[in-house]
Amino acid sequence: MEDYKYLFKVVLIGNAGVGKTCLVSRYTKGFFPPGQMATIGVDFMIKTVEIDGDKVKLQIWDTAGQERFRSITQSYYRSANALILVYDVCSQQSYESLPHWIHEIELYAGTKVLSYLVGNKIDQADKREIPTHVGREFAERYEMRFLETSAKEADNVEKLFCSIAHQLTAQARDLELRPEQQNTFVTGGSTPISPPGCCKF
Amino acid sequence: MATSIVDATSSASMDSIENLTELDEIKKALEQLGKQEVIFGYSLIAQFSHTGFKSSQNFKFSEHVEQELKALLEHQDTLESKMNGLHKMLPNLQILETDSRQLTSMISFTSTLAENVSGKVRKLDLAKSRVVECSQRVEDILDLKFCTDGVQIALQNEDYEKAAGHVHRFRNLDETVIRISAETNEVPGGTLDTSFKQLYESEEKLKNIVHSKFDAAVHCQDVASVERFFKIFPLLAMHNEGITKFGKYLAAQISEKADNNLKLALHTPENDKRAAVLFADTITLLFEGIARVVEIHQPLVETYYGPGRLFGMLQILQKECDRQARKVIEEFKSQRKYDALVGDLTPSFFSITCINPRELDVILSEIALISARAELYMRFMRRRALGDVELAIQEVENRKSTVAEVEKFWNGCELSRLVQELINVYIMMEEYFMREMILKAVSMDSSEEGQQTSSMVDDTFFIVKKSVRRAISSSNIDGVCAMINHACTVLEQDFREVLYSRLRAGFPSGFDLQHAYNIVQASITQGKLQSSDAEKVKARANFLMSLNNAEVTCDYCKALKDNLEDEVSKLFTQCSEQSKAKLESCLGDLGTVSGRFKDVVDFGFSQLTTSAIKPRIKPVADAFLSTSHNITEEDFSNYEANDPWVQNSIVTLDNMLSTFKNSLTSANYEAFVSLVTTEVTAQLEKAVGKTTFNRLGGLQFDKELRGLVGYLSSVTTWTIRDKFARLTQMATILNLERVSEIMDYWGQNSGPLTWRLTPTEVRQTLTLRIDFRGEDIKRLKL
Repeated sequence: MEDYKYLFKVVLIGNAGVGKTCLVSRYTKGFFPPGQMATIGVDFMIKTVEIDGDKVKLQIWDTAGQERFRSITQSYYRSANALILVYDVCSQQSYESLPHWIHEIELYAGTKVLSYLVGNKIDQADKREIPTHVGREFAERYEMRFLETSAKEADNVEKLFCSIAHQLTAQARDLELRPEQQNTFVTGGSTPISPPGCCKF
Repeated sequence: MATSIVDATSSASMDSIENLTELDEIKKALEQLGKQEVIFGYSLIAQFSHTGFKSSQNFKFSEHVEQELKALLEHQDTLESKMNGLHKMLPNLQILETDSRQLTSMISFTSTLAENVSGKVRKLDLAKSRVVECSQRVEDILDLKFCTDGVQIALQNEDYEKAAGHVHRFRNLDETVIRISAETNEVPGGTLDTSFKQLYESEEKLKNIVHSKFDAAVHCQDVASVERFFKIFPLLAMHNEGITKFGKYLAAQISEKADNNLKLALHTPENDKRAAVLFADTITLLFEGIARVVEIHQPLVETYYGPGRLFGMLQILQKECDRQARKVIEEFKSQRKYDALVGDLTPSFFSITCINPRELDVILSEIALISARAELYMRFMRRRALGDVELAIQEVENRKSTVAEVEKFWNGCELSRLVQELINVYIMMEEYFMREMILKAVSMDSSEEGQQTSSMVDDTFFIVKKSVRRAISSSNIDGVCAMINHACTVLEQDFREVLYSRLRAGFPSGFDLQHAYNIVQASITQGKLQSSDAEKVKARANFLMSLNNAEVTCDYCKALKDNLEDEVSKLFTQCSEQSKAKLESCLGDLGTVSGRFKDVVDFGFSQLTTSAIKPRIKPVADAFLSTSHNITEEDFSNYEANDPWVQNSIVTLDNMLSTFKNSLTSANYEAFVSLVTTEVTAQLEKAVGKTTFNRLGGLQFDKELRGLVGYLSSVTTWTIRDKFARLTQMATILNLERVSEIMDYWGQNSGPLTWRLTPTEVRQTLTLRIDFRGEDIKRLKL
């Protein structure tokens, strides 16, 4: 029945209107939805990819950026295998909110979560407010991986999700090779966040 | 050349011969002719021989020609018969030709005839359609006259329906066509023109009247008149105005009723039965009121305005609903000291104690109820609007944009935003409530005499279930998912940690449990207890209880998931595929939580093995070592009477198991017995390896082993023989008469027996028999 080897949860977060839904739509459906309405609550999509012969199922949770959905969004952090924090390169404000989002991640997400900082909308070059190096430096400061994308032009979108799938798969395989730590990683489930050491029998 | 000469002479002579009359002359001529003939004959021969030579040269060629000729000649017959046939047909052809000529002339005649006839028909058609058009126009003009007069009279009689009917009829006339005929036949400013003018004037007048009368009716609360004039709007092609005016009128009614309801609610005494859900009740009244208005007036709109107009009216009603709902929710917030609660909630989840969970409980239930009512109401409105759209637009493709507009409107309306905000806070509060209550349950953990688990497990699951079920009752899918996620976190993280930390304390060792119980019993009767002993006893009981708690939690998690699955499936009827998938995914995560508690149980047992099982089994194995298995016949029969080892061992094991039996859940007890068995076999195997046997000693061991297996089988429900497979096989080996006898059991002769011992182990076991010679064992081919 289960036709995949690994299942990973990828959660997208970030201010309202930075293009989270468009990124997901571009990746899972292959098109850019113009005039996308604000997401209500949480949406989710599935995409199965093949990584070195293994079927990997990505469960992509697209969260609403608006403040009034915050408590719903927060409940998904803990079980995420990867987090994509998105900002809009044309919006200083969305960049300035990043520390707040980082705080949320530290508060609710697991310690082992793979996190990406993504600057979206690079197609609007003339409106750009956040230069690439500023985003990159921010990502480095918080030990996040960094990419700039355009959901509209499909720039780096495939790359973003593919590299996440690759890294998570590599992580999972690594844990399989070291069975004494297997109980700290549940395939198809969540990354536990119990403090380190508590699970070592 | 010769012939030409001959010819010349002969022709000359021939002429003369015919003219000859004298016999002599004739004779001479005959003679001459004879001579000539001879010469001619010679030349002929010469010539012939010449040509003969040439033809021999062409002989081959001529042969070929001859063949071709032959072939051609063969065809001659068929060709001839064909020619004959053709000859016969010749006369027929002539007939055909004349016939066809006749036919063409006939056809061309017919076609001209037909053309003539159809031309006439066409002309007739044209004439007829013109007549129809003409009569239509005449009718229209008559209608126009009729309408003009009718409107005047109806207006005079204040029969506005009739007047509007006339205007509606006139509106349906093709004005330009009438005007064309007017231009051709009449001078400008004729009757037609005035009629139009009059009609337009009347229409304007009527519109004004209807507007003012409608407003007046609304002002006087004259429901009948309001509805009367509402029906006139569409006749005057003022659908939108009608809908807007009527919608506003209904909205005003809703507003008035809602204001009254809210006032009433605010004056409800605090001890009222419904006081706890006062605002939920108020907002429910609002929703029900609007639903009733829609229910009553939808047929009216559909009948008089046609399909596709309802959405406009619902939008106006929704705007009013938004205003009223906001009022109620604002009142709710201020009366329930909502903002203060939210403020207390946000900074940190654990440190605050100022919020009373009981107070929260009440508010949470009310928010869930408000959300559920709002969801139900918005579903109703959406369904009505979409139903109307479906009627108005038949093609699914064309409908899409309108359907999207309807969805967008209700997704974006203020009510849905207000509810989303409430749910946002609800989730925070509910999570806090769940956590706080579980903390409380853990801190108040207690157990009664004879119970295997403590109160906190039941309490915790009761609280989780209560919280998630309340979330489900709100009908908000995202809220349900969020609460399921939080339930997973609280169980997997916080509750697991509680159980875990209790097991980490370990099972105090170096002290016999049975002994401890005796002391407790004694001290209870004597009324005093040495503190250190008492603590150890308590710690052990706690440890076992935590182990039981963890084991039960595994099952409870599964039960919780199944239970919630049932509850959630009730929501499925009203939600999209996408929402269903979301709920299922979150529930699936809850299912995996169970596995995380299995780890805790395993950890507990590993603790128990080191501190309780191993030390207790060791004396048993030691006792085996100290019992000689190199025995005489006399010893053997002596053993029969006074068992040296196994009876004691069984008593020891039985004591140990029975002390645990009552303190462990049945699943844990089974696991415990399994661990004990594993330990017994492992240690006994080691002990056997250090013992020497003779034939009778082997027999004795076999007996002992049977006794042990018999006992352990009697205390478990599953078969333990498998765990004893290696030992039993060792006993078999130690029981052999001769070394070579092993071959009766090995290899091809093993039959149903599967050897768990490797050949090396078999050899090693054989060497334990002191009466077996090493060379014999070495010689074995295993």
